[in-house]
Amino acid sequence: MLQVWIDITDQPLNASEVHSFLYESNGGGVCVFAGVTRLETNGKISTSLSYEAYKSMALKEIRRLADEASQRWPILRAVVLHRIGTVVVGEPSVLIGVATAHRGPAFEATRFLIDELKKSVQIWKKESFEDGSQEWVAASWQDLD
Amino acid sequence: MIIVTLRFFSVLREAFGAGVAEVELDPGTTGQGLIELLAANNDEFAAIQSVVRLAVNDEYVELDLQLSDGDEIALITPVSGG
Repeated sequence: MLQVWIDITDQPLNASEVHSFLYESNGGGVCVFAGVTRLETNGKISTSLSYEAYKSMALKEIRRLADEASQRWPILRAVVLHRIGTVVVGEPSVLIGVATAHRGPAFEATRFLIDELKKSVQIWKKESFEDGSQEWVAASWQDLD
Repeated sequence: MIIVTLRFFSVLREAFGAGVAEVELDPGTTGQGLIELLAANNDEFAAIQSVVRLAVNDEYVELDLQLSDGDEIALITPVSGG
């Protein structure tokens, strides 16, 4: 029975709670990915990223991605948590984790979930730089990174 | 007339100066008609209208859909989460 923990929250994300949730699956392979606000982008020093979401639609899209992943891999438990609001350098904005019986599918499904989240989930981010400037992170519907 | 609720995010929220707006439309207005109306009234929207997708009541729709009274319409630009 697949158990999925999904949330979009303005609170800091707690990686140890994510690990605990996944370990309780009794699977043998747990993979957790963290997307973290990076210090430097194209030579500019960042201070934070600020996220906003169309929460109702974004939660449905994350649920759809989790369902798709569970059809492709034998997932025991999955976690997709995304923070909104300001996330300073060094803090995670997204935590994604998958527990499976063996490690291979855990890696693959985690990669799938973060890649697809970045392409389709209704969340946007604005970057703030050390020099006081701000800009929305440019995207296209075809972006894969 | 019909009344619909528009939801704007990120660049569009800033372009329109609000995250939510109620607008009156002629009955029979399509998604494409709404986009053209917004583009005629907002240059920033006009510049990026080709990449905007419409979602009505949390589901993406084709632009030829006729909008209905009470619809909640989100204007979705390319996403950048993660």
